[in-house]
Amino acid sequence: MKKSTKNLIKCLSLGIAAMFVVGCGDDSASKGGDPNVLKVGVTNFADTLEPTQNYFGWVVMRYGLGECLTKFNDKMEIEPWLAESWSVSDDHLTWTFKIRDNVKFSNGDSLTAESVRASIERAFQKNNRAATFFEYVSMTADGQNLVIQTSKPLPGMPGYLADPLFIIVDTAAESNRDFSKEGPICTGPYQVESFVKERAVMKRNDNYWAGEVPYPTVEIPSIDDPNTRAMALQSGDVDVAVNIAAGDIELFKGNNKFTVDEISSLRVVLARLNQNPDHILSDPKVRAALISGCDRETYNDILLKGTFIPGKAPVPPSLDYGFDQLTDPNSYNPERAEKLLDEAGWKDSDGDGIRDKDGKKLELDFVVYNSRAELPLYAEAVQSDLKKLGFDIKINTVDYNLIDGMGIKGEYDLLISNITTANTGDPEIFLTWYWKTNKDGSNPQNGSGYSNPEYDAKLEQLSMEFDPAKRREYIIELQQILMNDGASLFFGYPQTNIVNAKYIDGVKMYPSDYYWITNLIRPAM
Amino acid sequence: MEFIRAHKLFSIYTALVILIVLIAIFAPYLAPQDPYDGNMRNVLQPPSSEHLLGTDKLGRDTFSRIICGTQVSLAMTICLVLLLAIVGTIVGVLSGYFGGKIEIVLMRLADMMLSFPGVVLAIAIAGILGGSIVNTILALLIVGWAKYARLVRSLVIKLRNNDFIIAAQVNGTKTINILTRHILPNILPMIVITGAMDIGTMIMEIAGLSFLGFGAQPPTPEWGLMLNEGRQYIQTSPWLMVYPGAAIFIVVAIFNLWGDSLRDVLDPRQ
Repeated sequence: MKKSTKNLIKCLSLGIAAMFVVGCGDDSASKGGDPNVLKVGVTNFADTLEPTQNYFGWVVMRYGLGECLTKFNDKMEIEPWLAESWSVSDDHLTWTFKIRDNVKFSNGDSLTAESVRASIERAFQKNNRAATFFEYVSMTADGQNLVIQTSKPLPGMPGYLADPLFIIVDTAAESNRDFSKEGPICTGPYQVESFVKERAVMKRNDNYWAGEVPYPTVEIPSIDDPNTRAMALQSGDVDVAVNIAAGDIELFKGNNKFTVDEISSLRVVLARLNQNPDHILSDPKVRAALISGCDRETYNDILLKGTFIPGKAPVPPSLDYGFDQLTDPNSYNPERAEKLLDEAGWKDSDGDGIRDKDGKKLELDFVVYNSRAELPLYAEAVQSDLKKLGFDIKINTVDYNLIDGMGIKGEYDLLISNITTANTGDPEIFLTWYWKTNKDGSNPQNGSGYSNPEYDAKLEQLSMEFDPAKRREYIIELQQILMNDGASLFFGYPQTNIVNAKYIDGVKMYPSDYYWITNLIRPAM
Repeated sequence: MEFIRAHKLFSIYTALVILIVLIAIFAPYLAPQDPYDGNMRNVLQPPSSEHLLGTDKLGRDTFSRIICGTQVSLAMTICLVLLLAIVGTIVGVLSGYFGGKIEIVLMRLADMMLSFPGVVLAIAIAGILGGSIVNTILALLIVGWAKYARLVRSLVIKLRNNDFIIAAQVNGTKTINILTRHILPNILPMIVITGAMDIGTMIMEIAGLSFLGFGAQPPTPEWGLMLNEGRQYIQTSPWLMVYPGAAIFIVVAIFNLWGDSLRDVLDPRQ
């Protein structure tokens, strides 16, 4: 007995000593990096690289594999990419895109207007989200010109075609290649060597059209845990990492081994509020109370250390859609929240600290996923703040892959999302998808049951308006309607970042969040 | 006094265990601040005189949370160990005393459970049931009862053919009385020892499941969960991981040592 105790103590002290030794080890990144291999730590949600499946096109684009006809620059202005120019007819119904004639797919085939047409049609066939962007009457290829005819004026067309859903793939190559397993044939600087969800290996596309591709190989491990991602970057396991969390970013800022590129993103973190009949939140007073019970300034300024801008409206202030002139009727005011709950009939009748009404407790199911570090933090902060008002918030952490389905089916009271607000250059699509009335599944993304005829009518006007000033006006009005209705809880607007070791150049984060790996990333001179 | 002198180590460990239990019982009074309600303007503070062990990501006092965590962890563990002992004893006594088909069915069931890697199965069960305190206990119970059942069964089989049992049977004692008056008291010491020695392991397994997100859910102050929450800040605010980890370490060590010394005291073979 005694002997075993002694041994135990010995082992323990050895173990503790070992921990200290390891802890004090050299934490500097391996110097210089490998000029032949670029290693990028990312978060990947895509099971396959089929660009038309779910939102997997995003990953195809982020990995430097796929390209679209148009792209967004760092001010969210639309720039030519595979299309060198475009024009619209005087009646606003015919779009002509001139496709570059020096572009080759990674298999050496030339890019023609015909292959672009086939690729876009493929997107329409395979994913019904395509039709929520635009619908066309006809699409024809004429030499290097792609002509798209629509039945109504669609001012956002060049922006729509920048969405990764419309990545141009070589449909002719699909007959002897399984795009979802081996990756599609595209026009980007890199092509797929191997892909599983956890790790992709890309190799140089020797046929790339826009300049030299610096790295023969790019390794892309998916490190979903933000803290692990930061440590991988510190230890030199990766050269570049995206989205370092608020808790860790200070380790890299002001560290002369790393460069941080941090920008205001176009994203908003929001909680969808399920207001379908029979749900507690169908009562606008309860929604208003819930929103005004959340101290969003503290969440963003203190808990997230200012890496987020406090939220109030659907569209972040980084886009010029009247953020400052919008008034939030539900700004932080716990006294008002209590009064609203009393008025709505929710009282704590049994003294357990949770309000109830007709024998039903004020209990809400908050669905959260945690591959983004801020989401559980928001959820717990809300839980804590609302508990003081008599809400019982149950946090339900699920896998990211379930979130989309749960949002569509409405299996939640609150559901957290981190959404880009301008995937096509302006917020029209965003404002449509999440709040336009969903009649019999016509707008599946709006599973919350929110419906306001005034809002729908204004959206309809917006969708046909070409004049930018008027569009801006409509978008401001639309936002104000959502805020007045307490349609969703807008937490905040993230800064987004990409951090790289100093021995690499050309790493840049774009507001659209589509372009991570480009051929501009190269070893520093 | 005589007893304490004879079993010095055991007495010391018992005193420590009692201390931990007292801390658990009086946690709400001992905790200097509300473990649930922090000041969100005061997050991630390093240890100071106001916050002995610093504050966490929502500005809650880590010291208070660890103290209250004792209550959560200990209550869960004791519940679990008691359930394990009860279920294991019932199954073991039934199959050991009656034998035959009951024994075959129950013991093959136990074999099945024992052939799975325990923690992995517990994770699977807790994952399917969904994360909550009750489900964690349930998952570990499903995984753990077989060990007790096997132990009790072998003890009962040894006892069953003793003369005093046969005498009781010949005298026409009711089966239930034989089981409760003659069998149970004889196997109880072994069950108590096994249970006591398992407490440390169970604290670890419960904390482990909570760490993985299958156990206690936020905002419960549970050590494993606190470790997981602190993980995000390990480089910038290490106290969020160090202190809950130390709490687990200390409590598990004390219970293991206590279990060992309890065996030394109770085990009739020594």
